[in-house]
Amino acid sequence: MNMTSAIIALAVALVMGIATIGPALGQGTAAAKAMEGMARQPEMAGELRTTLIIAMAFMEALTIYGLLIAFLLLLKM
Amino acid sequence: METAKVLFTIFGLEVTGHVTTMWAIMAFLFVVLVLMTRKMDKVPGRFQCLIEYTVEGLLNFFSGMMGKKMARRYFPLLCTLFLFILVSNWSGILPLAGHVEGFRPPTSTLSVTAALALVAFFATQFAGFREKGFGYLKHFFQPFIFMFPLNLIEELVRPLSLSLRLYGNIFGEEMVVAVLLSIAPYFAPALMQMLGILFGFIQAVVFTTLTAIYISSATADAH
Repeated sequence: MNMTSAIIALAVALVMGIATIGPALGQGTAAAKAMEGMARQPEMAGELRTTLIIAMAFMEALTIYGLLIAFLLLLKM
Repeated sequence: METAKVLFTIFGLEVTGHVTTMWAIMAFLFVVLVLMTRKMDKVPGRFQCLIEYTVEGLLNFFSGMMGKKMARRYFPLLCTLFLFILVSNWSGILPLAGHVEGFRPPTSTLSVTAALALVAFFATQFAGFREKGFGYLKHFFQPFIFMFPLNLIEELVRPLSLSLRLYGNIFGEEMVVAVLLSIAPYFAPALMQMLGILFGFIQAVVFTTLTAIYISSATADAH
């Protein structure tokens, strides 16, 4: 394995790791708040769940961008 | 990204496996929906009930976001987008997907999702001009005239993020299944594919929800 491949492998690992941190924290907060809301007002649970899933998909997209970059980098290896 | 193999060309246009799968999905949706609604009755049968349930559920969902009138007006576009994306996402779960020439899930390539996002983009502009005439252009200059570059960028980034989100999710999920298949071939990929069914549905919902929100914000009264 030459030097370029080694650096790319490191970069891929870093991209995935760093791109996961932010959305993970955000999703955790969102889920916690939604559960709090559901416990407080169980009649709103259905609506909260829909909104939560859509919000989660938005946050997930940020990680997915990182994943795409990681795949692009892997192809250059 | 790997370039898909060109199967044949029509008038110089290259037809890949994604395109043929898209044709198959279009034909499938068309035939199934026509067959199911062929004998419409006041007392719905089994299949008509299913279609009515789907359409009414979607209509209520969109009405909650953009109001009943707008939802009715743009329902054909939104419902078609939703059904097409849903079936495309789920087509990757069928056996042999990606292994047979001419059968590749369409939404796992950037070209298809970019085309879908462009449809959503132009539909938004069209809806804006249709509802508000040339007054629609005013929203690019609000709240100040200096905001024009920012507003323009915001408008142009939308199709980019729409297409990348859908493509990344479906392609990423497939790649994860492929990697799992080489690590633990017996049980793990099935679990991931179950998640993939959920993700495919959610991504279809998110794409159409965003299109509905963009259309409703383009047609909303100036504030």
